[in-house]
Amino acid sequence: MSPRDGFSQVLRGEWTKLITVRSTVWCLFLTIGLTVLLSILGAQGSSTDVGAAPQRVLEDRSHFMHQPLTGDGTITARVVSQEDTGGWAKAGIMIKQSVEPETPYVAMLVTPDHGVRFQADFTTDVAAGASGTPAWLRLTRSGATVTGYTSPDGATWRQVGSFDLAGPRQAVEVGMFAATPPSGTRVFRRGGSTTAFTNYEPSTATFDNVSLNLAGGGSAGTWKSETVGGAMPLPDGTNLVGEASESGGVFTVTGTGDVREVPFTERGDDDIVQNALGGVYLGMIAAAVLGVLFVTTEYKTGLIRTTLTASPRRGRVLLAKAIVLGVLTFGCGLVASLVSLFGTRPIQRDHGYVPPYYPDPSLTNGPVLRAVLGTAAFLALMALLGLGLGAIIRRTAGAVVVVLALALVPGIAAGLLPVEGEKWLSRVTPLAGLAMQQTRERWDNWVSPWPGFAVACAYVALAIAAGVWLIRRRDTA
Amino acid sequence: MFQVEQRGTGVAALRRGGPGLARALHGEWTKLRTLRSTGWLLLGLVVSSVGVGALTTWSIPTGCLDPEARCREDIVRIDLAGVYLAQIAVVVLATLAVTAEYGTQTIRATLAAAPRRGLVFAAKAIVVTALVAGTGALGVLGALAAGRPLLIGNGFTADAGYPPLSPGDGPVVRAAGGTVLYLVLVALLCLGVGLALRHTPATLATVLTAFYVWPVVASMFTGEWGRWVSKYAPMNAGLSVQATERLDQLLLRPWPGLGVLAAYAAGCLLAGAILFKARDA
Repeated sequence: MSPRDGFSQVLRGEWTKLITVRSTVWCLFLTIGLTVLLSILGAQGSSTDVGAAPQRVLEDRSHFMHQPLTGDGTITARVVSQEDTGGWAKAGIMIKQSVEPETPYVAMLVTPDHGVRFQADFTTDVAAGASGTPAWLRLTRSGATVTGYTSPDGATWRQVGSFDLAGPRQAVEVGMFAATPPSGTRVFRRGGSTTAFTNYEPSTATFDNVSLNLAGGGSAGTWKSETVGGAMPLPDGTNLVGEASESGGVFTVTGTGDVREVPFTERGDDDIVQNALGGVYLGMIAAAVLGVLFVTTEYKTGLIRTTLTASPRRGRVLLAKAIVLGVLTFGCGLVASLVSLFGTRPIQRDHGYVPPYYPDPSLTNGPVLRAVLGTAAFLALMALLGLGLGAIIRRTAGAVVVVLALALVPGIAAGLLPVEGEKWLSRVTPLAGLAMQQTRERWDNWVSPWPGFAVACAYVALAIAAGVWLIRRRDTA
Repeated sequence: MFQVEQRGTGVAALRRGGPGLARALHGEWTKLRTLRSTGWLLLGLVVSSVGVGALTTWSIPTGCLDPEARCREDIVRIDLAGVYLAQIAVVVLATLAVTAEYGTQTIRATLAAAPRRGLVFAAKAIVVTALVAGTGALGVLGALAAGRPLLIGNGFTADAGYPPLSPGDGPVVRAAGGTVLYLVLVALLCLGVGLALRHTPATLATVLTAFYVWPVVASMFTGEWGRWVSKYAPMNAGLSVQATERLDQLLLRPWPGLGVLAAYAAGCLLAGAILFKARDA
């Protein structure tokens, strides 16, 4: 029997079985068709109005220890320490047109990851030196122009940039400030509703050697501590508000918000690639059923006896099935992914998902490529999961139910669990493999792409290993 | 040679037009009772109702117990969350009650012995309904019983505004009774689809997709479209009967929601019955 018993013959036999049986070909077409159909329907049914928002969206919520300045003057300060709550945490000195939010300002500041910087009116940003505290900063107002300087030692000053702010005699506010970038999204679930909000980690900075020299002479007034924009109440009942204090010439300022222009790509939070590939929810059912049928129809029709007689090494039969099924489903999945992604892009654009808020996805982008290949791989994995479960259970109904229940039930009941429970659940189901479709950070991405894919692979490996072990021990009933 | 001819069976019965309802019921009951999966499925129904309900009840976050929080957890609905898993057992049971006969071709024997197809259809529906209703009631009561001590243990007591779960309370009766009705409607829906499709995996895949994938798909749509699609999803609509809090925020009120599912079930039953009568075995 050996010339006929090579693995390639087994492969060829399984390949023939797969593509000549009408129901399996149907399932392959359904996998592609249903995926694309649902993706298109999903794109048709979703829209965004992110482009309708004002051209500039600004965040202006620092904590400002300030006093008024009429006429020309210079403020100098040394930032002694800054709490690192994110690469773009800001601490420094600022001259601001008024304490009202979204009014122009000029600032010299330090950041943990981006060094000393000169920033003005939310858009101007000039690098001025390496990171690290202590840092000497100075702002000089002369007429309408404000100029920023930095110094290594407080004696020799280097000009960094300048900006026109307000009229020459207009009163402005001058002082120290601290700001912190968003630190992530916090989610909590209570009373049947889930709330997600952007959280800010307060960042504290200390200043010393603070001096305010007024051109017309006269002494500095009293410092006033204020959060620009006021306190921000959070959905969980807490209040984000900064604070500042002074003791022996050392000022401590704690900021709980950021000062910046929100970039276009951060304005909307949809993951358009993940949405475009959402049709996989239907396609995966067809793929899973295909995998089950590929094995269980052999048991039902008794063909399994012929198969196992022709290839007595049973493990190889199942492995050959797995290879043939996996490759074919991956190919179909790839077609489905590409058609879904590029076919829904025009529809998405019509519904408001336009550049610059949502740039066109391109396959040269790493996460996008990972999403496309990952979706195709996930479809193959679902087919293989069906194959493994079909080999274990050997009954069509049972295997179909188990594979669909495994795939579908956890996601549905998850809404009733607390957030921690939902996170845990989403990490242990085969659908964790869908995490490969993520192309941006979102609060409801409970699983990371590669760990999620590993979980899905683990399910498949376990199912097929169990199938191989069982097929070798059991009779062909 | 002897002939044993009971009154309801055999050639004499066929001359009379087939067995009566009692005989047909007996036949369907025998078929269902001797199918090995029936026992396991019904056991699974009860275990998942009680088990999942206990798990979700035990893990209800206690944030709403704080009077400052001004929110209320829907403890009844969370306790009856086992239905999400239990309905799979019901789907499989009802599907197999119909499609297993087609798979093994015993449908020919069934219809030869009982030519009046409406009778066979009614008998199947009655037997499946009775089984699902009985076991469903067991599961629901078990879930309530299991959840009661867990809630009190976690602080959801009468003092905090959460009276202990009892099958006598108005909203609890509606939620629990509605859940049993829901399971029955799911079973009837599967009967109809099974008779229409006559193929086990196709029926299972169709019904499970309609129930579990529809809400996921609805979440892919935004705005009005999404709400409309989500509103009429069979599972979402049917399970609005379980809600005891925030009824004004529901997309469909409890009984209308169950009514929507009943409409789906009626439609599938009608389609299945017509095809059953009209087609060949």
